Amino acid sequence: MPHRHSIFCILPPHMLDQVVQSGTSAQRDMAARTLAASRQIRDRRGNITASVMKGAITTTGTAQRTVYDAKFGTNLPGSIARKEGDAPVADVAVNEAYDGSGATHDLYAVAFGRNSIDNHGMNLNSTVHYDKGYDNAFWDGQQMVYGDGDEDLPASERLFNRFTISLDVIGHELTHGVTQYEANLVYKNQQGALNEAISDIFGSLVKQYQRDQTADAADWIIGEGLFTANINGAGIRSMKAPGTAYNDPVLGKDPQPAHMKDYLTTSQDNGGVHINSGIINHAFYVSAIEIGGYAWAKAGQIWYKTLTEKLNSNSNFQNVADLTFQTAGEIFGVGSLEQIGVKKGWTEVGIAVVDSGSGIPPVPIPGGDGCLKGLLRSVGLAK
Amino acid sequence: MMRIIFERSGGFMGRKVSLDLDLATLPPDQADALKLLVAESDFLNLTELPTNTPAPDGFAYSITVKTSTIQHTIQASDANFPQGLRPLLNDLLARARSQ
Repeated sequence: MPHRHSIFCILPPHMLDQVVQSGTSAQRDMAARTLAASRQIRDRRGNITASVMKGAITTTGTAQRTVYDAKFGTNLPGSIARKEGDAPVADVAVNEAYDGSGATHDLYAVAFGRNSIDNHGMNLNSTVHYDKGYDNAFWDGQQMVYGDGDEDLPASERLFNRFTISLDVIGHELTHGVTQYEANLVYKNQQGALNEAISDIFGSLVKQYQRDQTADAADWIIGEGLFTANINGAGIRSMKAPGTAYNDPVLGKDPQPAHMKDYLTTSQDNGGVHINSGIINHAFYVSAIEIGGYAWAKAGQIWYKTLTEKLNSNSNFQNVADLTFQTAGEIFGVGSLEQIGVKKGWTEVGIAVVDSGSGIPPVPIPGGDGCLKGLLRSVGLAK
Repeated sequence: MMRIIFERSGGFMGRKVSLDLDLATLPPDQADALKLLVAESDFLNLTELPTNTPAPDGFAYSITVKTSTIQHTIQASDANFPQGLRPLLNDLLARARSQ
């Protein structure tokens, strides 16, 4: 895995370029991620390092966002309200969709070296003010769509605020796009619940990254701010304690299970995809807390690699448990704290990991002999 | 007689909203308005929509109209919802949401 410290190195981009072109798959991956991360750091630092990094390949690019306004109708995408580089507009939902998709793009680029939804710089299109009284957000296969909640009702009767209000909702929807381009999990039963959980996981990571929160400091609430003051609830779902996000006379109680023994078999909601995702969500939460630090750095890395390299459209709960465990072994080493943390997460939700026995011993972090040599050595181009 | 059974499921929250209306129990003007919406949308003659891949977090809708002689159901999603059925959908949703 690309250790984050390495991105602070000053490296001649042509060398990494060489690795990208002629290295092994793993070497290319690492070099590409380093280049990608360099680019992001450069962006974040502004012009200070721009001259140093000039010429680096921009594999993660920059966000290309367009926000459309459906004007309370249902025709997509609607009319353009703000496009990339435009100054903020008067409409708060437009700005939230713009900023939120940018924050999501940033997490994927910086933490995982990913260039947008399809990893090829796909434009990030969002439509706000979809329909009247539309208390929902969805991914239509090509873009994000957000309703304004119960804007058509008197304030005293409203349950939902506008759906752009919650950054993790934006990260959630965009992640459905990522999943579509990667594992393409079937949106039904366990596969669908896993699809949902992946969106909650990375949606939450977007929020944590933006807030600079470690795992133990995060609230792990999905849809924070979506409920109006008329509802007794912190949000739609809780990854920390599934089943406790809300308890309200009108909406009832959060129905999410946190353990396989409470897995709900139903024909509703494509087989309860928004219900049973609680089990996976909680496993991720426990792992992230066990591993510690920023959740995107290690737990997120394990899941990103699993999503993009190992899951397929039919992967179920047992598969993702086994594969995240295997991936943790490959990245951090067999028996590493990270791998143990992943296993602990699955154990807590009642899934016994099947150990395939694969994985590698931990890779020593290059350090003592200089940044460049260390990096080249780590990808096999120097001794 | 006419009965309308409506259900909206799925969505970001996965919360089902449903309605079972016996038009005989409604005030006559409301019952007439609903009958008109059913007639105007030509509901009983609409062909079933081909099942499409569900849009993640999209709503799924099911509307059933029963009369003494016929029963017909249309299922649709946000992605393929027929425009001609929207006035009826909006009426049913307004009722279901205010329950």
